[in-house]
Amino acid sequence: MAGKSGRTISAEPRGTVKKLLFSWESAMVLVFLGVILLGNVISPYYTLKNVFREMPKYLSEIFIMLAMGYILVLGDIDISVGSIVCLSATLACIADNAGLPFVLVVLICILTGLACGCLNGFIASHFTELPTMIITLGTQIIFRGIAEVSLGPGGSISLQNKDAIKLLSRKIGIIPVSFFVVLVFALIFIVVLGRTTFGRKLYAIGSNSTAAKYAGIDVQKIRWIVFTVAGTMAGVCALFFLASTYGASTTTGQGFEMEVIAMCVFGGIATTGGKGKLIGGFFAAFIIVCLRIALGQINMNTQLILVIIGAMLIVSVLIPAIGNALRLARKKAEKA
Amino acid sequence: MNKKENGIFRKITGSREASLLIVLIILLALIELLQPSFLAPQNIAQIFRNNALTMLMALGMLCVMLTAGIDISITSVLAFSGMTIGLLQKYDVIHNTLLLFLIGAAIGAVCGMLNGLIISKGKVAPIICTMGFMYIWRGMAYVISNNAWASAEDVSGFSDFGKSGAPGPYIILAIAYVIFFIVMKWTRFGRRIYAVGSNAEAARISGINVDKTITLVYTIMGLLAGITGVLSVSIYGSAQPNMQYGKEMDVIAACVIGGVAMSGGRGTVVGTFMGALIIAVIAKALPLVGLDSLWQNLVKGIIILVVVILNVVTQRVMDRRALARREM
Amino acid sequence: MSDIEASAAQQEDIILELRGITKIFPGVKALNNVHFQLRRGEVHALMGENGAGKSTFIKVITGVHEPEEGQIFLNGQEVHFRNPKDASAMGIAAVYQHPTSYAQLSVTENIFMGHEIMKGRMIDWAAMNKEAQALLERLNANFRVTEEMGALSVAQQQMVEIAKALSTGAKIVILDEPTAALTANESKELYRIVDQLRDEGVSVIFISHRMEDMYRLATRVTVFRDSQYIGTYDVDKITTADLIKAMVGREISDMYPKPEVAIGGELLRIENFSRQGFFKDVSLNVHAGEIVGLTGLVGAGRTETMEAVCGITKPDSGKVYLEGRELSIRKPKDAMKAGIILLPEDRQRQGLILKWGLGRNVTLPIQEEMANSVFNNEKKERQVAREYLESVDTKAVTIFDAASSLSGGNQQKVVVAKALAQKNMKVVIMDEPTKGVDVGAKAEIYAIMGDLAKQGYGIILISSEMPEILGMSDRIYAMCKGRITGCLDRSEATQEKILELSME
Repeated sequence: MAGKSGRTISAEPRGTVKKLLFSWESAMVLVFLGVILLGNVISPYYTLKNVFREMPKYLSEIFIMLAMGYILVLGDIDISVGSIVCLSATLACIADNAGLPFVLVVLICILTGLACGCLNGFIASHFTELPTMIITLGTQIIFRGIAEVSLGPGGSISLQNKDAIKLLSRKIGIIPVSFFVVLVFALIFIVVLGRTTFGRKLYAIGSNSTAAKYAGIDVQKIRWIVFTVAGTMAGVCALFFLASTYGASTTTGQGFEMEVIAMCVFGGIATTGGKGKLIGGFFAAFIIVCLRIALGQINMNTQLILVIIGAMLIVSVLIPAIGNALRLARKKAEKA
Repeated sequence: MNKKENGIFRKITGSREASLLIVLIILLALIELLQPSFLAPQNIAQIFRNNALTMLMALGMLCVMLTAGIDISITSVLAFSGMTIGLLQKYDVIHNTLLLFLIGAAIGAVCGMLNGLIISKGKVAPIICTMGFMYIWRGMAYVISNNAWASAEDVSGFSDFGKSGAPGPYIILAIAYVIFFIVMKWTRFGRRIYAVGSNAEAARISGINVDKTITLVYTIMGLLAGITGVLSVSIYGSAQPNMQYGKEMDVIAACVIGGVAMSGGRGTVVGTFMGALIIAVIAKALPLVGLDSLWQNLVKGIIILVVVILNVVTQRVMDRRALARREM
Repeated sequence: MSDIEASAAQQEDIILELRGITKIFPGVKALNNVHFQLRRGEVHALMGENGAGKSTFIKVITGVHEPEEGQIFLNGQEVHFRNPKDASAMGIAAVYQHPTSYAQLSVTENIFMGHEIMKGRMIDWAAMNKEAQALLERLNANFRVTEEMGALSVAQQQMVEIAKALSTGAKIVILDEPTAALTANESKELYRIVDQLRDEGVSVIFISHRMEDMYRLATRVTVFRDSQYIGTYDVDKITTADLIKAMVGREISDMYPKPEVAIGGELLRIENFSRQGFFKDVSLNVHAGEIVGLTGLVGAGRTETMEAVCGITKPDSGKVYLEGRELSIRKPKDAMKAGIILLPEDRQRQGLILKWGLGRNVTLPIQEEMANSVFNNEKKERQVAREYLESVDTKAVTIFDAASSLSGGNQQKVVVAKALAQKNMKVVIMDEPTKGVDVGAKAEIYAIMGDLAKQGYGIILISSEMPEILGMSDRIYAMCKGRITGCLDRSEATQEKILELSME
């Protein structure tokens, strides 16, 4: 059904292969390979077996990263996830110490996360005037505060029933179980964000929430759901965290939110919303994990490793600006 | 068009500072009731001393948030600066108080300037840039200390400056607050900060150097963080790489309660001061109602949430009232 | 400039002249060898289609953009503006369509930001407030200088912008679409202010799409078209038709192609719609094939009423009937499912996601219908998007073009395509569909409207533009201060009657 002028518009996508090759995500793959190469060069112990052996303690955060990607695409932020991990782990340990069966302990861990996320989502969706930074700033302090009160003067707690949770730290061959779980979750989250109607709605909201609303998208309901999911994933993270530390304290999870946001941003997801692919964050997470393992094996100061990661983060977000500056310089040179 | 009610009631409820003052007065009155001797001068001095670090950095955060930015690297800068001057004393390089403060300030200013340049010229989101530096400076603090720390005896002479009862910290606080109050209200530079946060495009068009303003604002924040690092060593008598870890949120909370908007352009020195004071007073008052320090954070978090939600709710009520007055 | 030319300029008393101005942005020549002359003390209109280059030209005059070629002469002397501050220092000030102001700061600060009155090194608030108050009084303003800018209405904010221009001692004031967001009364007030400026010796350039502005205020009018200078004409010597021809480059014979359509049964009826503070007891109906105009002054409550009907906001009371059946509309999706589609007033903020491509914008509301269970069916979406974008004659190369790259008129067409793609549409509500759209594209949009009517849809046209309402509507409802004040049939409607119903 052509219009009066008979003008046609093309619907053929062009240059998809080129776009794929030159995307941020492909760059991530290259950097990942670079890190693996680096690891092999600097450390004789950088074998697949060893890497998988040290991976579990870094893997739990990736669960949160998957959900944080959704929150960032929405254009929101959640800095309370670390505290949710703390609270979930704490309540799980308390339940465990009280003699509850393992299944209930797991349930409490995850449901605590769900409840916390649900609270975040409730406030965010009903008081839309409030920036989510402030909301989660408040809840961050509250969740950790509840954990502090629950832990009492000691400030820490250990799991009594260590055997049950060891299930989660088992290996299949050389690959830890947690790795498979992460892969499964990652696959689900990435596909949902990139290929489903729900995922597209997130991008719409993050790009222009007003236009999304006028197009019939239930913006507040979706935000509520995503925050709840983030809290739940923090609960899952807490579970795997317990599987490697067997206990919780008032400082559990401190800094997780920033590390997770750093992974997402490094992976190409912008904090302004509506931009980036979750697979980028996924690659970024493993880049950071493998780099940390490599540097750890040559006994680099753990703090120095954080310095390097911080520098990597800043350089990665400066790349567009550097690119523009170079382009401008080239233009000026051409004019002269 | 909304017609605002005139009169004193409107003026009071409309002014954030006035509402905060009322809350503060009520709090102090309640405390006075519960424990009359509480409001003795030494207790009040104690409140200021224990919260001096937050109060000092809140001034810098005010300026940063006024430009619609944020800086979460402040405690890392604090640690880096504090650790440096701790080590300088530990290895007997420098012991002069004034010099130590100057060095700390310089370190902080450089850290802050890096933030400012990257944010303004590199067009990087403030949360990301300062997050990166948060890791970098904290890591550097550990690296230079080689995981050791400067103990009380290392800094013994210096800690006299900030020991309990010494006037040093209060003087610094007072001077800082007076300077910022004057600058923010009566200098062109101060008003430029408001302009940049309110409408950066308009500011740029009217000839204000937005990049320079933003860089300066973060430099000032860094400078304050650096000075606070030195002050921290003096007050607590030691320097460790993990100083004030996680405390940047307290500073942000003080500003938020004090009425500083994250979207920029709104907030005052007076409001920030009262925000910090209210949090400090509540923390102090908790034991009086039978809640020990374990509950401190939980109550603080609840208060922050309640305050910001209340703000939204009252605004909605006011808007609805304004609508109701419209003749249809 | 040679001596002869300089003295000639002085004879005509040309305060501002631009010659051979060319401005190039990456990929597009926004101004192509453009000329312009402004006489001292005159009010000069600048007209042309959207994208003709008027805004860019203004930005060259005010120093925001530096031209690649060309010269600027102020009072006969050549000048170069490196930035807006240079232009401002030379006495050139602009008042833009979207107030570039500081919402959280006071009126005084907005007027004096950047050139505050100082006492030594400190700002002298007392003197500034006094001076600002004096400026406001000159303009007959009814608000205080201590008010927060964000609390003022658009018309009041504009007044502050003019005060700002005056405070810098501007000799040349440029107004960009000054009446676009004003009510009839406020426009009259603005005309008075422009007269006052002229009487005080200020030279004025203004951009407007409204002929009435031009006839009322200007002595001469300059036309740009497609980045080029077409000509300068005396307002009392040129006809509207010739002016349109100069702006569009062709004759538009039938501006309002309203087809003869048989009006069918009642499609939509709303009864007693009320929302405290916005509208009260609004009732109206639309029949199949009918175009119902909903007019009134800015702020009458038309958009608010329709947004409540479409579920975007919640009314306090009211009933909606579609084809006789009562509907329960609690959120936008409910209205869309029932077949009531809204083309929002602010197409850039409410109607489109500018970052996205055209195709994605069109298929956003119908994603789920296109999808295979939960997975997006991108191929099908592309086909559907192309089909509807072509059906409304969108001027674009591919469906992947970003919505931001289109002109206002084409963006509106994308919004229409988006509505058409929701195939169950029965009633379409168009809120100011031709606002900011140039004459050529306007005619195309009216043609689309006529087609829709012919196909049996019901159309509600919200508009403040009298010719549009009179030209396209079968019936016209007028609203004033939230209430329906009357309903006129096409045969009996006149501009005067409508105006009367629209005013208090």
